[in-house]
Amino acid sequence: IAGIEVPHKQWPELISALLSSIQQPQSHVKQASLETLGYLCEEVPPQALDQDQVNKILTAVVQGMSTSEGNIDVRLAATRALYNALGFVQANFSNDMERDYIMRVVCEATLSQELKIRQAAFECLVSISSMYYEKLTSYMQDIFNITEKAVREDEEPVALQAIEFWSSVCDEEIDILDDYGGDFTADSDIPCFYFIKQALPALVPMLLETLLKQDEDQDQDEGAWNIAMAGGTCLGLVARTVGDDVVPLVMPFIEDNITKPDWRQREAATFAFGSILEGPSPDKLTPIVNVALNFMLSALMKDPNNHVKDTTAWTLGRIFEFLHGSTVETPVITNENCQQILTVLLQSMKDVPNVAEKACGALYFLAQGYEDVGSASPLSPFIQDIIQALLTVTHREDAGESRLRTSAYETLNEVVRCSTDETASTVVQLVPVIMMELHKTLEAQKLSSDEREKQNEVQGLLCGCLQVATQKLGSTEPTKYMFMQYADQMMDLFLRVFACRNATVHEEAMLAIGALAYAAGPNFLKYMQGFYPYLEMGLQNFEEYQVCAITVGVVGDLCRALEEKILPFCDGIMTQLLKDLSSSQLHRSVKPPIFSCFGDIALAIGENFEKYLIYAMPMLQSAAEVSAHAATNDDEMIEYTNQLRNGILEAYSGIFQGFKNSPKTQLLMPYAPHILQFLDSLYMVKDMDDVVTKTAIGVLGDLADTLGSNAGPLINQSLSCKEFLEECLQSDDHLIKESADWAKLAVSRAVSG
Amino acid sequence: MAPHDLRRPFKRAAISDQQRRRDIALIRQSQHRSDSQNRARNLASSVVSLQPEPDPDPETLPGSE
Repeated sequence: IAGIEVPHKQWPELISALLSSIQQPQSHVKQASLETLGYLCEEVPPQALDQDQVNKILTAVVQGMSTSEGNIDVRLAATRALYNALGFVQANFSNDMERDYIMRVVCEATLSQELKIRQAAFECLVSISSMYYEKLTSYMQDIFNITEKAVREDEEPVALQAIEFWSSVCDEEIDILDDYGGDFTADSDIPCFYFIKQALPALVPMLLETLLKQDEDQDQDEGAWNIAMAGGTCLGLVARTVGDDVVPLVMPFIEDNITKPDWRQREAATFAFGSILEGPSPDKLTPIVNVALNFMLSALMKDPNNHVKDTTAWTLGRIFEFLHGSTVETPVITNENCQQILTVLLQSMKDVPNVAEKACGALYFLAQGYEDVGSASPLSPFIQDIIQALLTVTHREDAGESRLRTSAYETLNEVVRCSTDETASTVVQLVPVIMMELHKTLEAQKLSSDEREKQNEVQGLLCGCLQVATQKLGSTEPTKYMFMQYADQMMDLFLRVFACRNATVHEEAMLAIGALAYAAGPNFLKYMQGFYPYLEMGLQNFEEYQVCAITVGVVGDLCRALEEKILPFCDGIMTQLLKDLSSSQLHRSVKPPIFSCFGDIALAIGENFEKYLIYAMPMLQSAAEVSAHAATNDDEMIEYTNQLRNGILEAYSGIFQGFKNSPKTQLLMPYAPHILQFLDSLYMVKDMDDVVTKTAIGVLGDLADTLGSNAGPLINQSLSCKEFLEECLQSDDHLIKESADWAKLAVSRAVSG
Repeated sequence: MAPHDLRRPFKRAAISDQQRRRDIALIRQSQHRSDSQNRARNLASSVVSLQPEPDPDPETLPGSE
């Protein structure tokens, strides 16, 4: 209730009542009051409380946490309340004395006799590290000592939080260094203090120790999370943060342990190696990997322990992910060792499910590295064997364990994506095989709910696979011709799939149909009658907004495939899209693609869009007004605003181009002033990204081209046709330049006319 | 206020294939949209270069200021 009322200042006495009950002598009253304050802080947004209230809450909470408080339950409730209050205490953290005091109390609480208090105190430290990273400098030495002791000696729940503190600092520094970009021009609001780099000599040995504390069946248990897993994950983040510097600190551990008789040591060494493969430079890693590769391949075949094999296959995958591919200067895979690697991976796919799953994952990245290889891929001679091996995996009795079936289908997708002309016929032959599998799932009767869930998962994977094959084979004329023989049966299967009510399956089938529509072109018309009800259903799916978003994209595919033949379906589609836009229920991320979709429809049906103008234009206009002035510091909001602008501009482009050369162009004239004003205000606000800039200047050209000299005087008054156009003509971005060249041509004709 | 779950992805690829399928479909759609627009613009340019200036229809000018 407070979560609703406090932000509206409707329960002013609540906080003072709670604060006074915290002063009561009875411990259970104190505890309950602190817990309530904690819940309150969890629920209400920071701006709902004024600083005076925050100060009082903080004082009460910190008092409750201090060692002078004798009751354990009160201290625990206070520590948890602080965790929730951290978002409110910005001002207090900016004051050195207050911050010192809070930090001292938190650090003291990490040494409490009570496990739950220690755990909650470390949770506070984790949260502080991400919220107040820039305030940590003077506490880092103490925090290191505290976390080191916890990681080495404390019970697991506490040790996990202590490791998480360092993972969280890595997250912060990775983000900051990302913002810096390659040129260290400090484009970030917060400077990097290089805490991880400074702590490295002590931090890495501490993390390496944790790797030896594996649980017996951790690789079989999907929900497992333990100190070794957390330590390795943190080591991976450390490698991403500091790059090359981590390598010499980890190599001795790997060399000492990789051949030891105890599986824990071999697994820890392998996990350490796999963890540091992202971050350091290829120059640093390639020589090491060249030495290690044979050992890894042999371990995957011969090591007696499944955990070691699991981690070895995962490490091979990481080697292929980061050190193999067209962008890598000295690739670790050559024509000579490629066959040996493949033989080992295909053999390993027959191993226990968790190992086979990692082998599939490694093959995924091996294939991905050959994505841009051109016509002669080193995988081509083996593609038949690879596809066969993957299909065999999907049929394994135990393929439901350890995500094995999913991994096999996903790898099959990547193999298809990376296939070349020379293996196209093999990929075409895969299509009826996958269709048959999908057909079998649709025939299955009377399934239990568990079985149905598994069946849906398989259907989603099979539709995904057909989508990838359709997109691949539909992209060139000869393969498209071979592929299209299956289109009728495939469409029939997709329509049957829609009868199963499952969001993921719908999404996958919808994506596959979009790819099929693109491949089929105008021939897709024959499927429209059967497909239309499901298209409408997809557009109505507010709850599973991903399905709705994907369906909106498919409408665009249909527009481009069918062009004016989509007209009979447009009343229904437009009605639904307009409803979607008016709905407060629909996830905001779907709105920009809906606007773009207006453009797709208008471009396809031309002047027939006339009857939708009175509905679509006001919506575009009000969205444009909002988006032109949505200045904010929030990155996510900036990105969304730009997506929204782009969608609106794509709609305008499509509408202008659709009406081009029609006798009805004058219908668009009343909208021109506002559209030019929108372009001008975007130019003045100066926070467009490159994509929006390109689309915006294109709209200027489309408007000028379609309205011609009728709009000449109006265009002439706009900023867009002068400074904005001039800036775009000078742009280094060739797409912006190309659009600007078009706009210049169209504007000069309109103005001179 | 139970302890917060701190599990991170373990031995998992950063981007799932399902996400890649979505992303690739979006890229394809946006590429095709852009191709269609360029086609329409090129068509417009070539028509115009053949017929330099279509006469505007003055009576259809509504108040545009």
